[in-house]
Amino acid sequence: MFLTRFQINPARRNARKLLSSPHAMHAAVRAAFAAADDYARAGTRTLWRLDTPTTATVHLYLVSPGRPDLTHLVEQVGWPTSDEAWVTRDYDGLLTSLRPGQQWAFRLTANPTHSGRKTADAKETQRFGYLREHEQMAWLVGRADRHGFAVASQQDGRPNLRLHRRQTQTFKRGMGTVTLTVATYDGILQVTEADAFRRALTGGIGHAKAYGCGLLTLAPAPGSP
Amino acid sequence: MSVLLLRLAGPLQSWGASSRFARRGTEVAPTKSGVIGLLAAAKGLRRTEPLTELLGLEFGVRLDQPGQLLRDFQTARSLDGRQSAPLTYRFYLSDAAFLAAVSGERELLHGLAQALARPRFPLYLGRRSCPPAGPISLGVHDDTLDDALTHWPWLAAKWHRRKLASTVRLEIIRDVRPGEPVTETVPDEPISFDPAHRQHTWRTVLRRHVDMTNDLAERAGVNGHDPLSLLGG
Repeated sequence: MFLTRFQINPARRNARKLLSSPHAMHAAVRAAFAAADDYARAGTRTLWRLDTPTTATVHLYLVSPGRPDLTHLVEQVGWPTSDEAWVTRDYDGLLTSLRPGQQWAFRLTANPTHSGRKTADAKETQRFGYLREHEQMAWLVGRADRHGFAVASQQDGRPNLRLHRRQTQTFKRGMGTVTLTVATYDGILQVTEADAFRRALTGGIGHAKAYGCGLLTLAPAPGSP
Repeated sequence: MSVLLLRLAGPLQSWGASSRFARRGTEVAPTKSGVIGLLAAAKGLRRTEPLTELLGLEFGVRLDQPGQLLRDFQTARSLDGRQSAPLTYRFYLSDAAFLAAVSGERELLHGLAQALARPRFPLYLGRRSCPPAGPISLGVHDDTLDDALTHWPWLAAKWHRRKLASTVRLEIIRDVRPGEPVTETVPDEPISFDPAHRQHTWRTVLRRHVDMTNDLAERAGVNGHDPLSLLGG
């Protein structure tokens, strides 16, 4: 597995298209892999996410089974003359070092949903996004266990979790319109089961993985050695 | 030198310095003329009476919780609906909290603190429709204006503090002393509140900052999440 960071130049004309439409970004990410095998393998797939650490800095993160070639993105939405157009690092070292009990700071952009019937007599069930903050928090806390981690607690007993960039995205897909509820989770987690956690890191969490949701990334937890 | 500390907090506040006509703005922080007027109201001075001793006070304010700007678009009409008043915009700060300090003679400040506890006229935060939430006076202290504004505990609400980082930079706006470089001037030095002949002159102000540690900050690292740091940069 590989973790890749690519910096998008938002002043480029094509950047507007990619940043506004996860559908277009999905196609651009898919085009980074010549062999289908590098994009998706059994049990793993390519996940991506957009981060905005500061105003006008946009990072595209990718986790993929094979090494991506982002030349087309550099030409269209990057800085073609810069020396380091994108950074790819081997992810396996970190993945094999995961052990129960470890604490990590994490970030996850996800599509928190539940499915149900719109009315009591509706024939089909459909998927609804969770819009309220406490529901979105409960969504992640509730499914943390099956992904092999637990959200750490703060001093006051509430989960050490902060939500930001909660929004409803709408974009065109062909003739239709896709609507997604998206929230970014930041917090501290503790690994409980290494294998399930590894699957969550490489396979994603929740729905809309093609559209920039589900990628969980780790960073050193504050205060831990 | 003594200093009288004031807690200016309420659902709405509105502190105008330079508005004219139908668009009534608010500054980001309480104005000197607004606070002097509040003290004069507490003492029971009528608008036509001279302000005398209040004019010599030194004033500073710390922006503990900046609040949100609220715009009120008014379409007032006469009672029979035939005539309409000019359309006006009025601006307010909602959910803001400030620490204000006035410095001057000790006896004068003690008198003002007592007047704030039993005010002769109703007290309000810049505009009559903006009542304060809770007592205004935090008492008279033997301290300089700068030290009081720097060291007094942070007045922001818990829900506001939870949303911020673990160290927070608060802005202090205070009167310039002789010899200090002039940074800014605002038409905010009251001379008379006489409705027939209201007078203000220019006030020179200085902006500085004080760092507060925020023990309520939720520890999640919203800023600076760098997944590559685990993989060698």
